[in-house]
Amino acid sequence: MGKLRFLFALWAARLCWVALKITGHHGTNLPGQIANDLCPDFLDRIGKPEHIISVTGTNGKTTVNNMICDMFEASGRKVLSNRAGSNTKPGITTALINGASFLGKTKYDVAVFETDERTTPKLYPHVKPEYILITNLFRDSIMRNGHPEFIGGILTDNIPASSKLILNGDDLISCGVAPNNARVYYGINRLESDIKECINLINDIRICPRCAGKLEYDYLRYHHIGRCHCVDCGFKSPDYDYAATIIDRKNKTVTIEDKKGTGVYEFVNDSIFNIYNMVSIAALFREMGYEHSDIVEYMKKSKVVESRYKMVKVNNVSILTQLAKEKNALAISRAFDYVRELPGRKSILLMMNCLYDEAHWSENTCWMYDCDFEFLNDDNVREIVVSGPRARDYRLRLLYAGVPDSKIKIELSELEGAKNIDFDKGDLVCVFHGVDSFDLTQKVRKILMERAEKL
Amino acid sequence: MKIEVLFPEICNLYGDLQNIEYLRRSFKENGVDCEIIDTALKTEPYFASHDDMALIYMGTVTEHGQELVMDALKPYKDRIRELMDAGKVFLVTGNAWEVFGEYIECDDGRQIPCLGLLKTHAVRRMMKRYNSLYVGKFGDMDIVGFKSQFTHSYGEFTPLFETVRGDGLNPEVKGEGIRINNFLATYIIGPLLILNPPFTKYLMRLCGAESDKLAYEEAAMDVYTHRLEEFMQPERGLTY
Repeated sequence: MGKLRFLFALWAARLCWVALKITGHHGTNLPGQIANDLCPDFLDRIGKPEHIISVTGTNGKTTVNNMICDMFEASGRKVLSNRAGSNTKPGITTALINGASFLGKTKYDVAVFETDERTTPKLYPHVKPEYILITNLFRDSIMRNGHPEFIGGILTDNIPASSKLILNGDDLISCGVAPNNARVYYGINRLESDIKECINLINDIRICPRCAGKLEYDYLRYHHIGRCHCVDCGFKSPDYDYAATIIDRKNKTVTIEDKKGTGVYEFVNDSIFNIYNMVSIAALFREMGYEHSDIVEYMKKSKVVESRYKMVKVNNVSILTQLAKEKNALAISRAFDYVRELPGRKSILLMMNCLYDEAHWSENTCWMYDCDFEFLNDDNVREIVVSGPRARDYRLRLLYAGVPDSKIKIELSELEGAKNIDFDKGDLVCVFHGVDSFDLTQKVRKILMERAEKL
Repeated sequence: MKIEVLFPEICNLYGDLQNIEYLRRSFKENGVDCEIIDTALKTEPYFASHDDMALIYMGTVTEHGQELVMDALKPYKDRIRELMDAGKVFLVTGNAWEVFGEYIECDDGRQIPCLGLLKTHAVRRMMKRYNSLYVGKFGDMDIVGFKSQFTHSYGEFTPLFETVRGDGLNPEVKGEGIRINNFLATYIIGPLLILNPPFTKYLMRLCGAESDKLAYEEAAMDVYTHRLEEFMQPERGLTY
């Protein structure tokens, strides 16, 4: 009976998938939803690849997940993933359905699933990853995720005992997840740019997780990312199993070392955030038995998703559209910091409004006072156009950050913002947008490119 | 003027600490220099042996952090009661004020004993986060804000705000926050003072300021006016 119900659910979900395709709908959740509704133990019954990798964490999981998929494909392996769909239980169920035969047997030997942290209680009891890669744990959406300690607790409660963890050794929050599981740590050795005291508004590890004593940082990169020790009890950050030892910005390479070997990898992107992503991926592949020389080649064939970061140059005007995930103070701070470091004169358009919330209630703007808008208070910033429903809030926050009112322009429409932002040849125009506004961002980019063309 | 901030190393979620920085800058607009005294978990609070602080502030904290706060404040329970009775100004935001109540009930029914200075208790449901926009009244003033929490509170209390839209300390009551003399506590999180210029002016006066010009006052009033108008739109959803 159970088997029949499973097959019925599988075929119904397949039929739904076909119907969605024919009618031009995306709908990566619906087939999985239907299957789980019709057959509550569907996920236990569906065939699964022998090797399952789950990529979770606050920031960077989509980038890491997609790079891992690219790299497996470059290695000639057929990889099942949810990269085209959602990272929740229905989305991952849909991916498994798509990877299964008519009778529910899997056609793949490896799967890579980007996994939303809050989905893990519903997923991990049924889909037990061989490896779980955690990029980092930071403050995220206040409404959904509360705080990173809460998310770390969810992961600890739900990670299967058999899963091996690939953890960021420079992030003490994720280091504390599922302490009884097998694990390896990755990280980046001390950099010249490292500091000792946090300059960000968010630092979620200020006290020792063991004794609540004061933590002293040996070096700090941003927020709580770095290495530290407790002045009271001697607790300290773990040693790395996989370390980025040399970052050569001139030649755009990073050297990654472990006990058994060394590889020199080409940058996929020069931000520290993406170098962490690279080291985490190298650690995973090394754990799976690959040689550095092979991983280097596979990584060359992977890329950061363009919709998240796109730089175009038109008539000597650089136009950068940078994802700054709405309501995520930390992700936006990182994006601000990255742009701050870029050379030259800049004009900035802020449009990372949460359009979904705006349509239903109103965006909770508390994140703005966790986010380092102070990074935009820079002599190289010529003008900041604040746009969308939260334009006034951005203005107040920028004034609070010390940006002169004379540099701030309010345009409630994002498109008007693109039409009226000031720039000249040689300038960088940077557009910070959210996930909700990918389509709108394309229109904004088009307007900016047309204006640049006419200069 | 002195402001004591309790345990900023952990009581710092959701931008809450910017309330104090905003207050400091606003006092400065009026020619008043403000000394911020940060009290860490393992040090004796300034209030334990001083009376000259104009305000004692504590912000939102994690659930584990609440227990650390309780351990840190327990030795000073009588002193806190004395200060509350004497009319010392406290501002406590988010879930931080729950530690002044009787206990916190966890998902598994376990009760974490608290300081017992308020006749309230909190019920925590970690997988049911409550999110809401909030509009309330403080006397004639309108209050706007955001709530995002794992708990609701019950018991006997005199509210700080009367709810216009949204819920009070729990969904069955309209009273929001707690007021005992000048002990002011609210579940509202984040930049409460930045988003509520009239209330901030009131607080400045309560702390002894003779004038109440605010930092970035024009922009803050612009944001406040529009947010109030937006939150009062009947078709706008309140809870999430």
